[in-house]
Amino acid sequence: MSASVLVPSVVSPVVVSLYLPAVFTAILAALIGLLAISNQKNDLHTLILTDIVGVGMLILVAAVGTDLAESLILPGLVVELAEIMAISEILMSREMRKLGKTVELIPLPLNMNMEIMDTAPTFIAILLIAYGAFLTGFTGGAVAGGGILFYVLSKMTRGVPTNTWEGIAGASGIAWCLWLVGFLIFFIAPNYWLLALFLGAFGVFIKVTFKVGLVGVMGREEFKREKE
Amino acid sequence: MLDVYVWFYTGAFLVIFGSIGTAIGPGVKDPLIRTINTEIPAIGVSLIFLTYNHTIALLTFIAATTIISMILLRAIVRLEEMGAEL
Repeated sequence: MSASVLVPSVVSPVVVSLYLPAVFTAILAALIGLLAISNQKNDLHTLILTDIVGVGMLILVAAVGTDLAESLILPGLVVELAEIMAISEILMSREMRKLGKTVELIPLPLNMNMEIMDTAPTFIAILLIAYGAFLTGFTGGAVAGGGILFYVLSKMTRGVPTNTWEGIAGASGIAWCLWLVGFLIFFIAPNYWLLALFLGAFGVFIKVTFKVGLVGVMGREEFKREKE
Repeated sequence: MLDVYVWFYTGAFLVIFGSIGTAIGPGVKDPLIRTINTEIPAIGVSLIFLTYNHTIALLTFIAATTIISMILLRAIVRLEEMGAEL
């Protein structure tokens, strides 16, 4: 195929040669998913099949094969995650209202009373936070936040005082301001690009870490309230 | 080393046949089996991302697909405990 009209010379020939197969794969997968959805009557099955259509569209974006594709996939993933979370909540609350029954928030035995839940979390949390600090940026923040989440969820001891909680929220906001300042420096004083880069990377790292950690703190208070 | 195309076409094969398996595969009346079948196209997409060197997208996709299957499994378990027909 001669796709030389619109393709800039910086795109590698491998990506150009894979473009048509990737687009066909994406459209075929999405069509299979959509046909299955059109035959489906149950809402839960429809929700699961939406995942297949999402996968097809991710391939369609990835077929561009440049950094642009990568930066477009990330928000696509986050949106898909939020959408599935919201629709599954709606589905469950509708069924709950229809049947007039309630089920606990997470239907698992959460009071796991094992020796390892007492000793391991500290080490694993420190390991995850150190690895997240090494990665920096959004992914590092998610990893380190996962460490805090794991620590908070497995150590169901006394609750964190309200002051600490608000302090963490404030630190998260200040870190986000650091990120914005770093972004601004890129345009105002491009000579200091290294400073701007590190402000941005560590700002977003601290922010994401604390945000994910806060989810754990909030969730833990929720569990305690339900138990009592 | 193996050719780049091998990874891409393996990924494409997994995506298409995994989609068919999720849509009309054996035993998909059970939502649990359908959810587990969804993992096959996810592996295919991971291989395609790997072909294109989309590292960050691949890492985030692995995390996101794990969380999505956790959400779906939680929804299935809760609906079954409620006694809704699936």
